[in-house]
Amino acid sequence: MPIPRGYSEAIVTPQQSRSVEAVWSYVATSSGRGVILPDGRCDLILRFREDQRGTVQPVVTGPATQPYEIRYAAGDGWVGVRMRPERGIAVWGNAIGTAKDQVRRGAEAVTLVPALAELVDMAPCEAELRAGLLDVPDVLAHQDVDARVARTVQQIHLTGGRVSVVELAARVGVTARHLGRLFQSSVGLGVKTYIGLVRFHRALRLAARGGVALSEVAFEAGFADQAHLSRAVRRFGGISPGRVPPELILPDVAGSGQGLFGAAGQF
Amino acid sequence: MKLGYTIIYVADVPATVAFYETAFGLTQRFVHESNLYAEMDTGDTALAFAADSAAEMNGLAFAPNEKAAVPAGWEICFVTDDVAGGFAKAVEEGCTPVTAPETKPWGQVVAYVRDMNGCIVEIASPIDQVRD
Repeated sequence: MPIPRGYSEAIVTPQQSRSVEAVWSYVATSSGRGVILPDGRCDLILRFREDQRGTVQPVVTGPATQPYEIRYAAGDGWVGVRMRPERGIAVWGNAIGTAKDQVRRGAEAVTLVPALAELVDMAPCEAELRAGLLDVPDVLAHQDVDARVARTVQQIHLTGGRVSVVELAARVGVTARHLGRLFQSSVGLGVKTYIGLVRFHRALRLAARGGVALSEVAFEAGFADQAHLSRAVRRFGGISPGRVPPELILPDVAGSGQGLFGAAGQF
Repeated sequence: MKLGYTIIYVADVPATVAFYETAFGLTQRFVHESNLYAEMDTGDTALAFAADSAAEMNGLAFAPNEKAAVPAGWEICFVTDDVAGGFAKAVEEGCTPVTAPETKPWGQVVAYVRDMNGCIVEIASPIDQVRD
């Protein structure tokens, strides 16, 4: 795609959005429920009741591979920082190896991330909590990022997950086994699991763009056929094909900035 | 339809533009301020470079061009009267030699290198099309 001269609107690429910790927030204006699809990353979250002091509750998640259902009432709010995939270890330390699909709340979350302690006493104001939370990634204990893991994450996204672990390992000059250990101890997931998540999300996004038959989406996304795609949707989305909740929440894994609520309806 | 652009996806667009200027003597005609896209001055059909991350933004996925990887099955061909000189210059500026200049049975001199991103580039002498 050529980019024309003079087009100067800020372009944020997926790569850029993955290389920084992204802050997000949401305050519900009505009650409801939502399903958050897993993106393999760790989040630091503050949950609060708008305008009620003393309601700020810290939540720390491990790398997610399972869909997560939330129920909320009007005035429930969240602010969160989504960590880069390879920075799972910064949040969980050496416990990252067993952090998959784990959630720590309240005191347990503070034990894991002591810097959250002072935020708990803050006023339940979205803007102030956002600002406070954004400082937390900088003071986490493990700041080192293994360049080989970061490069592997990048490679998995560029190939849309159509790449073998052996090939990924060769590209960073280690054995597949060693890459598996490095990846697990940094991201908290196996390489293959992360590959599966990336393929799943790419398929969802291609489907959401519309105009292309689902069988073609399955092929382009690297699934042998539509049945394989459906299995991935069941595994990571917990959704039976044909029974998709309209309130599906897709994390912005590719960093495209597109809101995709209910976008996967055709599954 | 007509061929408008040949766009090669690379990790670093400005570095690739600079490389093509020194290694193959091309000149740039446009580098987008985002550094995600650039065009070389190659006439009506632009040779362009776009960032890997721009492809991902558009929903594309591919085997990224990389020096250490198996190259993709297509090439860029530059035509010059001095293939030996062009080949030597390209290698001196950082291309990896693949085959040194050799004369084909039909009289054309052909050499192959791989560029800084591992893409195959042919350097060949002009060939007069036989028309009847």
